[in-house]
Amino acid sequence: MATVQVSEAEKVYILHGVRDDLRVDGRGCEDYRHMDIETDVVSNTDGSAKVSLGYSDVLVGVKAEVGKPRPALPDQGYLEFFVDCSANATPEFEGRGGEELGLELSNTLYKVFSNKQSVDLHSLCISPGEHCWVLYVDVLLLQCDGNLFDAISIAIKAALFNTRIPKVHLSEDEEGGKEIELSDDPYDCVRLNVENVPCIVTLCKIGHRHVVDATLQEKACSVASLLIATTHRGTVTCVRKFGGGSLDPESIFEMIETGKRVGKALHTPLMELLKEEESLGKKRQKVGFLG
Amino acid sequence: MLKSKTFVKKTRSGGILKVVREHYLRDDIWCGSEVCGECRDESPVLQRDACMESSLCPSPHYLIPDTNVILHQIDILEDPLIKNVIFLQTVLQEVRHRSAPVYKRIRDAIHNADKHFYTFTNEHHRETFIEREPGESANDRNDRAIRVAARWYGQHLSRAAGGGELQVVLLTDDQDNKEKAEKNGILVYKCEEYVKSLIANPELVDRLALTSDQNEINSGKVLFLEHLPLSKIQAGIKSGIYLQGTFHASRDNYLEATVFVHGEAAERKEVLIQGLQSLNRALHQDVVAVELLSRECWVSPSEVVLQDDGGKDEDTGEEEVEDKNKSAEASILKPTGRVVGIIKRNWRPYCGLLSQSNIKEATRHLFTPDDRRIPRIRIETRQASNLVGHKIMVVIDGWPKNSRYPNGHFVKNLGDVGGKDTETEVILLEHDVPHLPFSQAVLSFLPKMPWGITEEDVKNRMDLRHLCVCSVDPPGCTDIDDALHFRELENKNFEVGVHIADVSHFIRPGNALDQEAANRGTTVYLCGKRIDMVPELLSSNLCSLRSDVERFAFSCIWEMNYSAEIIKTHFTKSVIKSKASLTYAEAQLRIDDTSLNDDITQSLRGLNRLAKILKAKRVEKGALSLSSPEVRFHMDSETHDPVDLHTKELMETNSMVEEFMLLANISVARKIYEEFSECALLRKHPSPPPSNYDILIKAAKSKGLLIHTDTAKALADSLNLAEIEGFPYFNTLLRILATRCMMQAVYFCSGMDSDFHHYGLASPIYTHFTSPIRRYSDIIVHRLLAVAIGADSTYPDLMDKHKQATLCNNLNYRHKMAQYAQRASVAFNTQLFFKSKGILNEDGFILFVRKNAIIILIPKYGLEGTVFFESKDKPSPHIAFSDEVQIKSCMYLPSKKKKKKKKKSHKY
Repeated sequence: MATVQVSEAEKVYILHGVRDDLRVDGRGCEDYRHMDIETDVVSNTDGSAKVSLGYSDVLVGVKAEVGKPRPALPDQGYLEFFVDCSANATPEFEGRGGEELGLELSNTLYKVFSNKQSVDLHSLCISPGEHCWVLYVDVLLLQCDGNLFDAISIAIKAALFNTRIPKVHLSEDEEGGKEIELSDDPYDCVRLNVENVPCIVTLCKIGHRHVVDATLQEKACSVASLLIATTHRGTVTCVRKFGGGSLDPESIFEMIETGKRVGKALHTPLMELLKEEESLGKKRQKVGFLG
Repeated sequence: MLKSKTFVKKTRSGGILKVVREHYLRDDIWCGSEVCGECRDESPVLQRDACMESSLCPSPHYLIPDTNVILHQIDILEDPLIKNVIFLQTVLQEVRHRSAPVYKRIRDAIHNADKHFYTFTNEHHRETFIEREPGESANDRNDRAIRVAARWYGQHLSRAAGGGELQVVLLTDDQDNKEKAEKNGILVYKCEEYVKSLIANPELVDRLALTSDQNEINSGKVLFLEHLPLSKIQAGIKSGIYLQGTFHASRDNYLEATVFVHGEAAERKEVLIQGLQSLNRALHQDVVAVELLSRECWVSPSEVVLQDDGGKDEDTGEEEVEDKNKSAEASILKPTGRVVGIIKRNWRPYCGLLSQSNIKEATRHLFTPDDRRIPRIRIETRQASNLVGHKIMVVIDGWPKNSRYPNGHFVKNLGDVGGKDTETEVILLEHDVPHLPFSQAVLSFLPKMPWGITEEDVKNRMDLRHLCVCSVDPPGCTDIDDALHFRELENKNFEVGVHIADVSHFIRPGNALDQEAANRGTTVYLCGKRIDMVPELLSSNLCSLRSDVERFAFSCIWEMNYSAEIIKTHFTKSVIKSKASLTYAEAQLRIDDTSLNDDITQSLRGLNRLAKILKAKRVEKGALSLSSPEVRFHMDSETHDPVDLHTKELMETNSMVEEFMLLANISVARKIYEEFSECALLRKHPSPPPSNYDILIKAAKSKGLLIHTDTAKALADSLNLAEIEGFPYFNTLLRILATRCMMQAVYFCSGMDSDFHHYGLASPIYTHFTSPIRRYSDIIVHRLLAVAIGADSTYPDLMDKHKQATLCNNLNYRHKMAQYAQRASVAFNTQLFFKSKGILNEDGFILFVRKNAIIILIPKYGLEGTVFFESKDKPSPHIAFSDEVQIKSCMYLPSKKKKKKKKKSHKY
């Protein structure tokens, strides 16, 4: 991942700041940076969202396509993730540089989101064993300024909220052959229930404390971080540890507790924002990529 | 301003795709009215005083028709009376989507400046564009768009200075739409009430098409079964319950038809349909779904000739003469079915005669189409007495299930029956021959006159001007597309050159001229009239290889040895200067006149000698020489009436030219196939299925002769042997019958087919190269060959086998139609000829015997006709009919009485 060089003196400064619950940019340990969310930014997707968190900038597009259900789960649809680390984000991603990170990110995202606890996969099924909707979630990293997971997860939740899947129904002929028929009204579509879609809160262990939404400099001072995916109820759906350092059980416990708390606090305003944005309808001024 | 249009669609592979298109709105789309001062339109189309006097709307007004009005009432809109109509883009798009022919007609009308038709691109106008709303169907949205645009026009024009009087009238037949429009304050009428209110032309009402609800009102009992809905048909076809095919009505029996089932060659079959109920309102050329009946119900084609005399006008539902040949052997039973639904109607305007109703003052009359395969059509007109004795054109609107005949409406009066111009027009219309004068756009691609060959041109071509080239054609031919030369080489071999007019030099791919030629496909020769494929400047002048002028040619030059074996073939673009254009007779005279020994004559003799060898070789390989009763007319130069007729004579020189053309075609076919194995345009003549020969074998058997039909060679040999003492015409008769057994030769693209064989010519590969002035196929072949020898550049469509296949389909269709038109023209002129002759006695031959009629051929006039044994006023002679009698088809029947149009036999 994108890294920055931090001098010893700086590290000490950051460490001491975190100890006193006062970070370099003035935040407390459990505060997020300023966040911008806009949905429906890419018109040829079925749902899209752009999230910028500090200077981290991600774009998520959801495309729904008709596919065959997985043999093991014939009555469910599924999600596929692809993370494209654009060389725009950092020169390190040039060529195939971003591939490894992309793969790691998409694998994690798959673990977090593609299960029936997070998304109602049953509602994606068209005809068991034959047809289902496959949601291709494409994540594009436009700029990296730390804490990608949190930004991506928020963008995914917003994009899924924004997703409109065309309504289809199955017509059966006398022979039993099934055919998918499409409603001819473009407004006739299905929406996903995103209530249980988790958000990821990444906690970085800095000194004896841990911080939410670490910047790249803070990250450089941290030896280990914990990824915690929580729902709006505070249920933890996934935990992963990154980084080479070790964490003692007690601090893991503390970090999970913080994650739950922060996660809960994150969901509520997010949903409110999304609903408010939607209620603006066509009157909304689109900001897009130039705003 | 930018909007995006989003819609989802299903792809062919079953996926679902979201499509987003950018849609730009503008504020510089003008209203097109002369009145308007606001719009800066330089040449407004719509007139200031738009006067169509209507009792409903006395002030000047513009019309805005909705989609259904255009689709159904196109005949009205095309009338010169209707002017100043605004066509909305929404409407035109819908029309285009729903009916291509109507769309084309409306486009043509819009281009006609006299009509003052204006296209308003409302979908791109900032004030008239609307977005589809949730819960609104596509149709509702379009209706709303039409109303919005109509309202905009109303407001826009009322703002204009002096436009206060101008109104905009929306025409719609949709009740719901009408009500909504009235609520919006738009002046709206139903099409019917508006047309009826027109003061200037009350006859226009006749051309109103019946709208669907009117079509249904017709009370009375239900005669036909309901057609199945398309979705059920499709499901049925998928599962194999129903078969999809093209409906071919029988010419001889109006209660019988054949459906040619679509599909791969293996499963291609014919289904017989018998009886009015089973035909179920299908018309000739419709694509239908049929259900096969169970085997017990299968019948054999009836032997009766039935014409729908109809007798009574109304739907008395006369029970048809159901004659089921129960006794017939099982072997001749054919798969029989019934029509369950119509997949695609292929209605076109029909020409024919009005049979006036017996009841005076009646407005409903029956119309009898010229084409016997089309049933009579009921039309409504108030001018019946004016139309009797005229050829008229009628369009079918629908065929309700409780009506014996389809309903239609009158379109056009073509002129007096029997008038030469009228009948020629009818022939051209009935055979869908494009015969309008060439448009300006087409003519603009002609070379500028005076035209001459420049140095530059000569540089890239082989200069053959010094050679002794001459052309041999029928008399009066002005479009000479081939010429020949012959000379002896130093090594005692011969050089023979076939020079073909280089039409592809003048017609460049893709331009309007090329598209027009591709659409026309072929030049159509009628008696005394020629409908050119390319404008006359090219066909009779610049391309025509006339004598003593320098012309571009595409040459095929062979080196041959004494026994006419090809040593070397060479293709090149060239410049030639023909030394003489001869007729067949002139050339023959020169060859025969031993006193002549000039260059041209010498060449002709040399060519003639080689041609004979080539022909012998070809016949050896099994090429067929068939016969058809063809006649030629001598036309009076003043009146253009036929004054005399004779059957076509064949001279040695005919076959000489033919032989070299065949050779050139075959050589070129090899070359282009070698070069472009995927996209060569070739011509094939499939060998006919054995059952086709039945009539021929039976006919020969009646005289105790045996015809072998296993191979083309066997057939040719046995035809040669089939002679009867004292009956020299018998052989010709057999050859005429054999011609009818043949399949149609067709053009095809080599990448789309694997069977290239030309049965009639016994050649493994064949194409058409030698008549580019009158056939479009030859132009394509020229282009291919030019690319192959590096004389010209290629273009994408030439190498696209699918595009070529589509082109071939059109060419085959045009070709067939041109042939039919030619025949029809000959038949008409024969009738004209007999008009003045009175009653004649001529020898005739019986071709086929049917239960109640015989079909007779009079070779002297190439005339074929049906002679009924019984007619209403005469008792029928007793005839014992058996299946075997049919075989006596070639009985000699001396002195048959013949009247001018209707033929009756008195003696059997």
